[in-house]
Amino acid sequence: MNPFHDYYGIEWYLILLAWSAIALGSHFYQVGFVVRLIRLGKDDDRFNSWKQRLTEFLRDWLGQRKVVQDKVAGYAHALIFWGFLLLISDIVDLGTGGLLQAFLSNIQLDGIWNLIVDLGYAMATVGILIALYRRIIIRPAQLKGASIEGPLILLAILGIVLTAFIVEAGNMIGEETKYNTWEPIGVLFAKQMDGMDHATIASMVDISYWIHMILIGGFLIEIPQTKHSHIIGTIPNVMFQDHNPMGTMIPLQTNENNEAVKTDDLDFDNLTLGVNKFADFTWRQLSDGWACTECARCQDVCPAYKSGKTLNPMQIVLDIKDYGREHSSLLLAGDEPKESIVDRFTPDAIWACTTCYACVEACPVHIEHVPKLTDARRHLVMEAADFPEELQNLFNNLERNSNPWGFGAHTRADWAEGLDLKIGEPAEYLFFVGCAGSFDDRNKKVSRATAKLLKEAGVDFSILGEMETCNGDPARRAGNEFLFQMLAETNVDNLNSVGTLKIITACPHCFHTIGKEYEKYGGKYEVYHHSQILNKLRQEKKLKIRDFEDKVTFHDPCYLGRIGGETEAPRGALGGDLIEMERHGTNSFCCGAGGARIWMEEDADKRVNEIRAKEASKTGADCVAVGCPFCMTMMSDGLKSIGDDKPVKDISEIMLENLEAKT
Amino acid sequence: MNIVVLIKMVPDTESRLEIIDGKVKEDGFKYMVNPYDEFAVEQAVQFKEAVGGKVTLVSLFSDNTSIDTDLRKMMAIGADETIVLRQQEYSGNKPSSNARILSETVKELNADLIMCGVQGIDYYQAATGPMIAHFLGVPHVSGVTNLELSGDKLIASRQIEGGLQIVETPTPVLITCQKDMTKVRFPALKDIMMSKRKPFDNREVGSEPGNDVQTTECSLPPARGGGVILEGEGPEEKVDKLIEKLKMEAKVL
Repeated sequence: MNPFHDYYGIEWYLILLAWSAIALGSHFYQVGFVVRLIRLGKDDDRFNSWKQRLTEFLRDWLGQRKVVQDKVAGYAHALIFWGFLLLISDIVDLGTGGLLQAFLSNIQLDGIWNLIVDLGYAMATVGILIALYRRIIIRPAQLKGASIEGPLILLAILGIVLTAFIVEAGNMIGEETKYNTWEPIGVLFAKQMDGMDHATIASMVDISYWIHMILIGGFLIEIPQTKHSHIIGTIPNVMFQDHNPMGTMIPLQTNENNEAVKTDDLDFDNLTLGVNKFADFTWRQLSDGWACTECARCQDVCPAYKSGKTLNPMQIVLDIKDYGREHSSLLLAGDEPKESIVDRFTPDAIWACTTCYACVEACPVHIEHVPKLTDARRHLVMEAADFPEELQNLFNNLERNSNPWGFGAHTRADWAEGLDLKIGEPAEYLFFVGCAGSFDDRNKKVSRATAKLLKEAGVDFSILGEMETCNGDPARRAGNEFLFQMLAETNVDNLNSVGTLKIITACPHCFHTIGKEYEKYGGKYEVYHHSQILNKLRQEKKLKIRDFEDKVTFHDPCYLGRIGGETEAPRGALGGDLIEMERHGTNSFCCGAGGARIWMEEDADKRVNEIRAKEASKTGADCVAVGCPFCMTMMSDGLKSIGDDKPVKDISEIMLENLEAKT
Repeated sequence: MNIVVLIKMVPDTESRLEIIDGKVKEDGFKYMVNPYDEFAVEQAVQFKEAVGGKVTLVSLFSDNTSIDTDLRKMMAIGADETIVLRQQEYSGNKPSSNARILSETVKELNADLIMCGVQGIDYYQAATGPMIAHFLGVPHVSGVTNLELSGDKLIASRQIEGGLQIVETPTPVLITCQKDMTKVRFPALKDIMMSKRKPFDNREVGSEPGNDVQTTECSLPPARGGGVILEGEGPEEKVDKLIEKLKMEAKVL
């Protein structure tokens, strides 16, 4: 029995054709509309390295690499996704009245194909049931407030699957019932239905078939309008994922070799500073809006969101989509809506970001949240001059004394008094101390410990002394790209004049910026975090260090672990058995200092560092090890304010304490 | 309204300060715009924005140190042009002589309003502004905390010990600005860049004799002694030691 007959004198295929025309027409019209919106964005040439892109696409899209990191929801999704990939061809078969089946049967492949499709339907069913159970029964915290759309769509696709089984089963029943063993689930259904009176079965098949087709058509119409746009949107998103190292930012202007145009040569008449309009974003930043699945993983790991600030990274992404939709007619006509992008994001949200990249790391579909916020900051600082007052001090201090606190630049090397270090001379390594290590009393001790260990191991190194300036990261992450670039150019000139190409630093922000960003400004160096060098010296026995005896936990700095990709060296350098916090390594939780947040006000009841301090405290360790001067400040303050007096020490300090005396 | 703002370049407060043979060693100094003068620039620009006109910056400084970046930033706030008087033997410690030179240039500019900071943070003389007013023969109001336009008159508030004085003055007049007169804006990058296109005039000037006093000696404040951290077993022993020190050494108990 099949549904392929006339209905009240109208052939089934005419009805289907009419419905398909409506559904597909609406679908493609809407997709075209979204594509036109995305194409308003600026160029971002990611149409290269195709082999790598294809591999990543197979791994991340087809393989669902990041999706399945969330075990329940991830595997439920993967089952539905893989199931639909397997069953999708059945739509062609059902839509053509069995032509595909007939064709495959000619070449003896119908059996295998039936099995694949049946398996697909089965996988999808299991996935849908798990997802429904999660949404309706478990209801995890991040789904509170999620719309009813999720369960409704799940029920709809469950309908698509179940109706397919009924049609399949009906196909087996007729004058003479013949079970198709290639369709095991279909057979199960057929066995249930066999024995019913044929007229009932016939109408069941007819009704199922049309429900099936109505749901598929309805789904096609719905896809571009809701979060299900991710079914299409993730394809370009995953395919054109960022190939720059995580955390790197785009210069103000670049030349044909992709190097930054020098500050003196910038063409200000043709320069958009940051983003305040929809079309100021690149196409790839806009496409993020339609790739978002609203899974809320970014929200879950966001220090700003978790500490109760206005920022929700998922909302930022959705803001882009909603803004585009709401103002589409103006935008497509090339006009500017009254509401700007900054208005939509809200300044509070824009300034709350610590640029820790946890959201970007967590996103299964390669959405780039952070650049949207730092681009908005660029607009606020350089174009609108409208930003938190505290940052004005930061900028003035960096301009005048090239450090965030405004200490006299001539006192930069004072920390090294009595250590007899080479200053400004060529050596095998250059120790780039950084501002915190040079001026902040607590962190000066870290610089001294690091220098002592390097001397102990006989490493030939020098420091820049007064020639050193801030690497520029605080200004840059706060939106003052121009100031960043001036600092970067000064540092590159000075580093190149000394000529040492191997750089050691105890600051992950210097590590990231000098190592991964300076190349575009004319400085190509091998940059090491001090833990990498100290670990190497320890492994090579050039430093003889006992394993520590205390109970120690290590807080991974964002710009070393997640963004820098280095989680092993600090642990190797420390030695001994660490008690790990639940979130560590690339999943570490920010201390709250990044993104120039350390120089901005933070409400006493919304402190990121207290959240992290509690996590450190919970381990029961006697000491918290850090590898970043700003983590040092934040973790020390955080522990103090939660009433925990355990000490916070840098990796180098713990190593120095456990250094075996020279034999 | 035609406004002239006088800018003094002063050593950055974080500069290395050394005194050798009773004289300040100046060659390691970095310079910045006197912070009080920034209030004057901001207020002048606000007047210009309200009633139209022009803001001209005038500075007297030595002839060998570049101050373009600092003064361009002031122009980025909204001043229209800058005149720097370059003087070979410039010193910030000669108010009378400096006021004479500056008043000649200011006179040429025919200003309705002349503004500057209440004092320079280098020598704290608070003298140059009033002296210029004297040489120009115009009234002056010093240490103004709030300034408002009222027709062709100005209403100035002065915070004085235990109260507030409000004065009314015709123009032209010279106003010296007290701290927090207004909030100085942070110029947008576009404005900083555009300021490069504004007129910037360096003029050589000679020196004029003035009734200035001679500095005989300078010295730094005595260095503070370092603190002492008392060692001991437990708080009780430490407190005992503290009490003993307060009795025997500090003699306050």
